Amino acid sequence: MSETPILAVSGLTKAFGGLTAVKDVDLVLNKGEILGVIGPNGAGKTTFFNVIAGSMPPTAGTVHFKGTDCTGMRSDRMARLGMTRTFQITSLFPALSVIENVRAATYRFTRTGWMGSLLRSGAWRDEEAGVDRAAMEALEFVDLAHRADVNAEALSYGEQRRLEIAIAIAAKPDLLLLDEPAAGMNPEEGQRLVGMIRGIRDTGISILLVEHHMRVVMGVCDRVAVIDHGIKIADGTPADVVNNPDVIRVYLGREAVNA
Amino acid sequence: MPSRILLPLVIVLALAAPFLTANTYFHHLMVLWMLFSLLALSLNVIIGYIGELSFGHAAFFGIGAYTAALIGMNFGLAGIPGLVLAAIVAGLFGFVIGYVSLRIVGPQFAILTLGFGSIIYTITNYWVDLTRGPMGISNIQPLGLWGEGGPALTGARGYYYLTLFLVIAFAYACHALLNSRTGRAFIATRENAPLAASLGIDVFRIKLLGFVVATAVAGVAGGVYAHYLTVITPDVMSLQYVAALIIMVIVGGRGTIAGPIIGALIYVALLEALRALGPLRLVIFAALLTASVIFLPGGIVSLWRRITGEDTRPREAAE
Repeated sequence: MSETPILAVSGLTKAFGGLTAVKDVDLVLNKGEILGVIGPNGAGKTTFFNVIAGSMPPTAGTVHFKGTDCTGMRSDRMARLGMTRTFQITSLFPALSVIENVRAATYRFTRTGWMGSLLRSGAWRDEEAGVDRAAMEALEFVDLAHRADVNAEALSYGEQRRLEIAIAIAAKPDLLLLDEPAAGMNPEEGQRLVGMIRGIRDTGISILLVEHHMRVVMGVCDRVAVIDHGIKIADGTPADVVNNPDVIRVYLGREAVNA
Repeated sequence: MPSRILLPLVIVLALAAPFLTANTYFHHLMVLWMLFSLLALSLNVIIGYIGELSFGHAAFFGIGAYTAALIGMNFGLAGIPGLVLAAIVAGLFGFVIGYVSLRIVGPQFAILTLGFGSIIYTITNYWVDLTRGPMGISNIQPLGLWGEGGPALTGARGYYYLTLFLVIAFAYACHALLNSRTGRAFIATRENAPLAASLGIDVFRIKLLGFVVATAVAGVAGGVYAHYLTVITPDVMSLQYVAALIIMVIVGGRGTIAGPIIGALIYVALLEALRALGPLRLVIFAALLTASVIFLPGGIVSLWRRITGEDTRPREAAE
């Protein structure tokens, strides 16, 4: 491979006491790629996700992000390096307005702090204008611009999930980790999500998606990795994976696939 | 729109207020109001912005008061250097206590601050060589510019303008904070710490920053208080003041700038108006706090929003 992959996971293992939730997983995500990680319930997807995102240190193995070793790094440091995430259970700033939610996400790339604001410096003015612009752009992208001044807790469930994505992309990451973004969505909302994820990739953001909504995964991913009992059992294009006998046995065999 | 006219009007009124009466006792009450406003605004950084409850704030006020008094007494620096040192010493204590306490959050943090506050209070009471113990320190010099000699601030009116200036300056600093990246990180941390961390915010550092700023400002207030009253005793660190400050912030409206100032006004005014009731006043304050939490969780300032429909918390605060 000529280019450094955006994310390279090797030998990743996470054990909780006697239970090994993730075992010796290797995974590479190239720049501009949308990679899906699927697996049956309890397969270790979320643990895998949390270890990469910095919420918990791995037992063994390494995580390289843009060539930098960031194994076991705290999530805020990961985020400053350019990796942001969404949460499986909707996670917002509920008491703040929609636009304030997104403004908070610009922390990563802003520089002038309290002093600039105290002195009303030119740099501060420019940066605040940039923050407002970036926040509005992110809201327009998820089609929530008309709800900018509403409190986040007043949004509908679907709107809240879109706001989460707006928050994550307003941080302008290089890699976006999506933890079951389609959870609780109806098929129509799922389709909309697929379009949105493609749109995010088109802005140059690589995406790692953990999901068990098959329609979403098959519709949007360039490549899919399958995890079962903490072990990666397949890695390939959606078409390859669907036809992989192991995958059919452990996962897809249990439900009709409609890719 | 009303708040645009309101703010300059309030400042003009505040500047003119001492000349409305020659009654020095009234001036004295105004100084107390401003001192409590400064303290409540600083505590508001902890309660309102980083979203933690501190029961130790009066201790930092006391540290500032004792620092300024001792510096003035032993080194003759009863002036701006003394106030700066009061801020530094209180802020250092805040840094150390925050550094060990802020790793845990919520009720446990509140209890830790209560513990540290009590320790500082007790030490002040018993370290007689340094603090003169329960007798306190008296005959503290008035506030000079650079120490002894030269012009010194005397009289309630002078102290009123000094404290008014400090309140306006710190209120502006809070306003600027909320309109900056740092302030957004404060509020994000308060609202949802895991999400804030996922956006690159170092939650612990942000909380520590807020705590140190709050304690340093409380130290300045303590320094001014010592020079103004010329007498201090360890009682300034007692639980009574801790409770009073929390009541000011919550009854006034946490997370806002006007709220703590209004809360301080209510406290000082009620303390005077109900003087005849003696210790019963504390019961009334407790009832006020309870009623506010139940009926007006946003504090008195949230009434303004209810009446005018104007959003008083543009970027500032939530409930």
